[in-house]
Amino acid sequence: MNRVPEPDAVLSRPSPMDLYLTEEQIQLQNAAIEFARSELNDDVIRRDHDETFSQEGWKKCAGFGVLGLPVPSEYGGLELGITDVIAVMEGLGYGARDQGLLFSINAHLWTNTLPILAYGSEEQKRKYLPGLCNGELIGANVASEPDAGSDVFSMRTRAGKQGDRYVLNGAKTFVSNAPMAGLFTVYATVDPDLGPMGVTAFLVERGTPGLTVTRGLQKMGLRTSPMAEIVLDNCAVPAANRLGREGRGVAVFESSMEWERGCILANYLGMMRRQLETCIEYVRARKQFGKSIGKFQSVANRVVDMKVRLDTCRPLVYRIGWLKERNRPAMVEAAVAKLYVAECLVKSCQDALQIHGGYGYMVEQGIERELRDALGSTLYSGTSEIQRNLIAKGLGIG
Amino acid sequence: MMGSVNEDIRQYILSEFLPGETASNVQDDTPLRTSGILDSMATLRLVGYIEERYGIEVEAHEASVDNFETVGAIASFVAGKGGATS
Repeated sequence: MNRVPEPDAVLSRPSPMDLYLTEEQIQLQNAAIEFARSELNDDVIRRDHDETFSQEGWKKCAGFGVLGLPVPSEYGGLELGITDVIAVMEGLGYGARDQGLLFSINAHLWTNTLPILAYGSEEQKRKYLPGLCNGELIGANVASEPDAGSDVFSMRTRAGKQGDRYVLNGAKTFVSNAPMAGLFTVYATVDPDLGPMGVTAFLVERGTPGLTVTRGLQKMGLRTSPMAEIVLDNCAVPAANRLGREGRGVAVFESSMEWERGCILANYLGMMRRQLETCIEYVRARKQFGKSIGKFQSVANRVVDMKVRLDTCRPLVYRIGWLKERNRPAMVEAAVAKLYVAECLVKSCQDALQIHGGYGYMVEQGIERELRDALGSTLYSGTSEIQRNLIAKGLGIG
Repeated sequence: MMGSVNEDIRQYILSEFLPGETASNVQDDTPLRTSGILDSMATLRLVGYIEERYGIEVEAHEASVDNFETVGAIASFVAGKGGATS
């Protein structure tokens, strides 16, 4: 009789078997797993039900260094390489059940912190990055509008130049982190006739007169990551708070989306791995018709598909790290990763639920929540359809 | 100098927006904006390339159809800005 290895022996092999991570990166990832397991999993079911953001979890993540992972130490970060960051994010996704909190962290990191690092003036970096890294300042990305979603650069929010300030007017929607954010990266156009060349990015502090966080938005998943609408009504912003050049907001936005698309799903690699381990354990232990349900091919095939998806998703995400660390463009590769991982994630969550049968459908198991959380991944940071468009363009056929 | 700028811009357009096309299909007077070869996002990318390549700054209103309609017009615009190849 063949000896069946324990799941951990198969899935969590030490460094020589991991093609993407060094021994140090594995240690970093293991530390993230332990941190997430011990600090981020309290009361997730209730908070998901009540749509409550975990301020405590946010502070703990800041203390662990998560909010400043790729930021240079002079601005309060850990100055890790992007592959290190992906490894940590994968570990957090494995250890943490609160995917909403992790989503908020990703929105904060990729669409606020990184753009300031890349496009901010020295003054802006010194003013905002330390707070964004130590958790005192939460960032929110303010781009989508009711009539400018996938076609985001058709935005109508205006930025009128008046002397040494810009006056912002418009309505924004789908703003993750808005209810608790202290800093908003707002996109507006200085002239709609200029199309994308008119879009400009601004850093707007909470409390700036004319910026109002309005209606909170209830969501199907990621419910612990609050979202709201924003109204800008004669909101005057100093010209010094413009992020990058006037009319170059698209570059800021595209850069942040490239980071986000490439890296936001690293958490889900961890979640997919945990789900796979859980399912292997379950199909071995659960007996029906006198044998483990894993002995039925229809069940085993689902587990196999989950394993194949995980193993094919990981290289796509780690490829982003490889490219970014070499300052190589990654727009197409990020879109490929975003598209493929998001679609695989949803399928694997459905498989995990089906494998667990009626139990998987119960809230207390957490699988239904993870499926609800996963469904958003085919929508945010560009829908799967938009990712396909980007890839087609990259291939010169779109 | 102008000739090399024309060729450089032509090659960029071919490689980024018309892969597989031959250079003879993008003449100095081939319409780029009004024909749809350069949409607004492509123009933005081309502007970024020109700024970096020739060390000039292009204001948003300067990326107009007049200045970016043909390879020849773009090269003239770059020359007018005092752009220099590195």
